[in-house]
Amino acid sequence: MMLFSEALGRAVVSTDTASTVGKISDYVVDPRLPGIVALILSKTSSQGNALPWPNIIAFGVDAVTVPSAAAVVEPDPYLAELAGKPHTLLHKRVLTTSGVLLGTVLDADFDPAIGRLAALLLEQGPIDAARLLGVGSYAAMVRA
Amino acid sequence: MSILLRSSEINKLPVVTFAGEDIAQVKDIMYAAHGGQVGGFTLNGRGLFAGPLKTALPWESVVGLGPDAVVIRDEDALTPTESLLAAMQSSGPAAGDILGSQVLTDDGAALGVVVDVVIEVADGGGGQADVVGYEIDPAEGAGRGTNRMLIPLPDTMSASGEYLMVPAAAREFVTDDLAGFGAAVDDFRAHLRGQR
Repeated sequence: MMLFSEALGRAVVSTDTASTVGKISDYVVDPRLPGIVALILSKTSSQGNALPWPNIIAFGVDAVTVPSAAAVVEPDPYLAELAGKPHTLLHKRVLTTSGVLLGTVLDADFDPAIGRLAALLLEQGPIDAARLLGVGSYAAMVRA
Repeated sequence: MSILLRSSEINKLPVVTFAGEDIAQVKDIMYAAHGGQVGGFTLNGRGLFAGPLKTALPWESVVGLGPDAVVIRDEDALTPTESLLAAMQSSGPAAGDILGSQVLTDDGAALGVVVDVVIEVADGGGGQADVVGYEIDPAEGAGRGTNRMLIPLPDTMSASGEYLMVPAAAREFVTDDLAGFGAAVDDFRAHLRGQR
């Protein structure tokens, strides 16, 4: 398991040229999975800044590897929608379906092998990510 | 486990969908079953300058009601306000009228004026939201000082908008904090059942 905060800023390296194609600056999460569907990169040399999860060779402890710089693309409408501010998970308030606020998302724990979210980390402890229903402009909704 | 909420705490709560969007906020509570339970909510838009919405939220479509939000599945839960209001009116007088009415025991003592409604929300969703008590501003001579007090209600009661009739026994179950009120309601109702 790996934390969002831990992997932020990690280099993304292309294996064909052995050069850095960017650094992780954000995560695009689909709450329906729930899992990471793409990484948003900063300092990219190419046009786009989105690295869809299937284009990743490996999410390593020191670097993320991709086959070539072409793995980094312009976000398609699906990714662009999820990457928008209303759908970002970090710093979002967490609300249960019983109408009770639990806190705010400080960090998230994910499986670097498949991108699946394992837990949301709040002030008062972790919440199983399987309870996640949706992330919107007001709150991240979790099953009570 | 169920929770107790004051109606004043429910007003202005955001209405949030499973997708995490706050699509409205509670304007007013609509009561059904002669004011005995929550029938739905009229809504305002979100934001400082948003006015009332033409849609309302029937209680059946509410997934969860808690201290921080009203939760619904999606926007399909909303129905036109007109039709919901009509349905409420056919089920008896609205308890919105009860705010400000005098609480009178059946032995003729005035306890005070209703200033808030206490609602019990059953846990797990799909349950009812029952009106289980009132917060009242005590009448002088009720011998309880000037602190607001909470009075439990029987399962059924009669209200006219002017007076609210409660059994004299209700007086013994008056408390002044919401924390112990759930138990007081249960005790009071058990007491009434025991009498019959």
